[in-house]
Amino acid sequence: MVAISVDPPAVSENLRKKQGYAFTFLSDSSAEVIRRYDLLHKAAGPESSDISRPAEFLVDRSGTVRWENFTEDIRVRPRAEQLLAAARSIA
Amino acid sequence: MPDVTSTRRNSALWLGLLLFLLAIASNAFYFAHLSTHITPWLNLTLPVLALLVLLVGVVRAFRQPQIYRGKIWGTTLTVLSLLICVGSVLFFMVARSVPRSAGAPQIGQRVPDFTLPDSTGQSVSLSQLFAASPGVAPPKAVLLVFYRGYW
Repeated sequence: MVAISVDPPAVSENLRKKQGYAFTFLSDSSAEVIRRYDLLHKAAGPESSDISRPAEFLVDRSGTVRWENFTEDIRVRPRAEQLLAAARSIA
Repeated sequence: MPDVTSTRRNSALWLGLLLFLLAIASNAFYFAHLSTHITPWLNLTLPVLALLVLLVGVVRAFRQPQIYRGKIWGTTLTVLSLLICVGSVLFFMVARSVPRSAGAPQIGQRVPDFTLPDSTGQSVSLSQLFAASPGVAPPKAVLLVFYRGYW
């Protein structure tokens, strides 16, 4: 599992340590990858900065999307059980 | 003739405000993932109920001003409730203003490769994420979680 946002590495490292997360955090400060995936949420961040919309992709070894989830409401995010079920379905 | 009508507290206005506050609190259920069935229902019913109760309070205050005389409290509670109501509607709209992302990779499509720095500043590419680390079998899949950041 990899978490991607516009947060700079130091901010992500801080969050990772504080929460004890073991997965990788990637920083897309310029939102270049976020834009390439068409996930840019314009002016939704602090001081009208561009950030990523929430989205999850399960990608297999060939780079193909096997499962994905796009929320329509930032309050509604997938549950851990949903992610695990998706991962099990392709294992 | 002395005024015999005693004043009463306009409890409908208080109840209306309380219901608006509960409606705001019901947003917490979204984040807690407690019940996805009940939450949208609560989230809509509570403010509607609050508006109705508030309306009862306002109508009461105008029809029987001699009983519900508390001018300052009545106005303050009504204005406060309406502000909370407008704020909640705005928040609701913002929460649901997520872009459609029609151009995002779909199931069965290949995702674009990328290279980004991890939290220690090391460059990591998507293909590297599939590489085997010593003693651990290579992963069959990788879950990419894009999130809003600023946590």
